[in-house]
Amino acid sequence: MTQEGADREKTKVPEGFRRKAPWNAAQGVRNLTEMAMMLALIEAVKRALDFLPNVELVTFLFLVFTILYGRKTILVSFAFTGIETLVFGSGLWVVMYLYVWPLEIVCVSLLHRYFPKDRDGYWWYCIFAALFGLFFGAACAIPYWIMGGPKAAIAWWIAGIPYDVVHGVSNFILCFVLFRPVMKAARKIGLGRNANRS
Amino acid sequence: MKKKTKILTAVVIVIAIIAVFLGVYQAFGPKTQEGTKAYTVEVVASDGSSKTYQGKTDAEYLSGLMDELQAAGDFSYEGTTSDYGLFITAINGETADYDKDGSYWAIYVNGEYGQYGADQQPVADGDSFRFVYEASPQQ
Repeated sequence: MTQEGADREKTKVPEGFRRKAPWNAAQGVRNLTEMAMMLALIEAVKRALDFLPNVELVTFLFLVFTILYGRKTILVSFAFTGIETLVFGSGLWVVMYLYVWPLEIVCVSLLHRYFPKDRDGYWWYCIFAALFGLFFGAACAIPYWIMGGPKAAIAWWIAGIPYDVVHGVSNFILCFVLFRPVMKAARKIGLGRNANRS
Repeated sequence: MKKKTKILTAVVIVIAIIAVFLGVYQAFGPKTQEGTKAYTVEVVASDGSSKTYQGKTDAEYLSGLMDELQAAGDFSYEGTTSDYGLFITAINGETADYDKDGSYWAIYVNGEYGQYGADQQPVADGDSFRFVYEASPQQ
């Protein structure tokens, strides 16, 4: 490999983080602004629905943003965890948030590869949202497994099953109701990449 | 397989998972006991002093028992409800602030560290509960 080729290989960035060459300040500002808007919207809907335990729009919004903006949404998820930590203080849930939301974003990215058109993926996104809610407690039990062993983790997960069922069912309903109108509106105003994939 | 059949199969699988989860909860979840139950509640403050309450209750969960004790007047508590259940922040006027100094109110059930939050911890006849002001060793 030539020196130039090796340099190019070194600077290779993953899908979703890839930027158009040549990089320009306007694009950078646009990226930052979009991410700040995503974060603000997620935070606002999180606060708005806080009175309903385990009924949330964060899963849905991360799903939509991942389809629209790709894996750079992972950076937004870290920023979201940071803001939540500032609001509620640190705790074991911070560790959970640091891997649960990126996990969702990676899964949706993979799903989006199979269903690049919104209408083809619609039902699969609804089913994914339901599964994500159902297994949210199990995924969050991992730190308990590490800290207190399998008994503590399983007991914690089982005690939270009713919450997980509410989470899964509400995620499905919210995605079922909101996905099509939200994506249609987003495509119409040209948000994100691949604006014609409706 | 046709697209509709695949989607239908996936939906059925999701419903089956919900049924299995609820079955697991029924079989292995926290069990409540109806009727009157004898209890002992001990509160151990940060200075090591303790206060004990004994009596009988119809409450099925510890949070219900705490509400009864609070209504009786000689006990008080504060807490916040989150996605993960009731988080006790203060007992008998003493606040444990995890963010400030790593302190928290630990729940012990019959001498063992509790597996559940107060709103999920069942009350059984003869149970002994201890609320202990503890500090996280990392802080």
